[in-house]
Amino acid sequence: MLAAALAREVSVTAIEAVASYLPEQRVSVEDVAGRLGLTAMQTRLFRRFLGLAEIRLDPGGSLLDLLSAAVSRLAQLRGREQLVRYVLHARAMPVVEPYPVNTLHELCEAFGLGHAVSFTVTHHACATGLLAVDVAGRLLAGDEDGDAGALALVLTGEKAFTRDAQYVPGTSIFGEGAAACLVSLHGPRDRVLAYASSIRGEFDGRLDALPEMASRFEKEYPVSLAEAISAAVAQAGMSLDDISLILPHNVNALSWQRLCRRIGFPADRVLLSNVPVTGHAFCADSLINYTTAADLGLLRPGSTYLLAAAGLGATFSAMVVEH
Amino acid sequence: MDHQTLTSPASAELRPRVYDSISKLLPRVLGREIPAMSEDMKLMSELGMRSASMLELLLEIEDDLEIQIEVEDIDDAAMTSVGDLADFVASHAITDG
Repeated sequence: MLAAALAREVSVTAIEAVASYLPEQRVSVEDVAGRLGLTAMQTRLFRRFLGLAEIRLDPGGSLLDLLSAAVSRLAQLRGREQLVRYVLHARAMPVVEPYPVNTLHELCEAFGLGHAVSFTVTHHACATGLLAVDVAGRLLAGDEDGDAGALALVLTGEKAFTRDAQYVPGTSIFGEGAAACLVSLHGPRDRVLAYASSIRGEFDGRLDALPEMASRFEKEYPVSLAEAISAAVAQAGMSLDDISLILPHNVNALSWQRLCRRIGFPADRVLLSNVPVTGHAFCADSLINYTTAADLGLLRPGSTYLLAAAGLGATFSAMVVEH
Repeated sequence: MDHQTLTSPASAELRPRVYDSISKLLPRVLGREIPAMSEDMKLMSELGMRSASMLELLLEIEDDLEIQIEVEDIDDAAMTSVGDLADFVASHAITDG
């Protein structure tokens, strides 16, 4: 019992593997804006100033198709399905399908994960992906035999299926994309060194209908996101200089450039290359960006990087990880 | 083609045109008349502008003056008053060089 307790004390959440999927259909922001009824100026500012150019959509595909495509690409899961204790679907939107439809259960059955405890994690909006990774590690650490190779699978990905789910006025356009992330304890790959998150419930509400709250949120957004990043870095016992790369949420490029100036971090060390080609994919951005960074060889052994996300409502989160 | 921000003299020359342009375009962006426009008028706290409307205004200024504005450096100080925004635009206008 003591050994188990000690093991839990020193347990470290590890990201074993990440796979991502982006639908093939590319839709320009102008086409999306036309469908949303935006004015010419509202449309132009996305491409001209915010760095968004196109998003990915799969209009004929279901949520199951979207998530399955990411899980199918997670080669490290093959043959280890029985080790998966938990399957977590991180969602920005609390409700996405009518009862009794349960896409997560369908997916688990399809991939030999029916034995796992599966559930949805939500209420951190687009920052829920990072919360789910943290929750997965905590659940594994809480198991008596949690060190025996047990795994958790974190899924991110949602359908952009309503106007509100497609568009944040003057800020971002949502696309579709998914990521599947295998979490373990003490894994050899990416060790989670710190996770910080703050919830500012006073910003819960429709920003376009509450201009006064929207103005306050605009002022508070960079301050709170900077605080979350600083808190995570401090919790890891590091400084921002130790962070080699930020894997952001893809809300837009300009807000990250401004935030970088505020915190004194070089903007060229924030992976923004997906912003023009994917748009903002709800909770999946940071993990999709992880796979891009890995493909580009930007994650070097021993380097430390930071995942960051903000969610409407509002949540600000950051996670420091050592590769 | 290379792009570069205006030199100081060119920026100073552009500044009054930017202010005139803002004065002309602000009512259109806000959708209402502004009775007493001044350099000190606060864009957010007095006129109720937000980031999105600020960016729309910058696009309108670009069209009106046939310039391009480099926005990467924009910060809260640049969006405080009408005069601050005019300073920012004049010093961040890009010309084809």
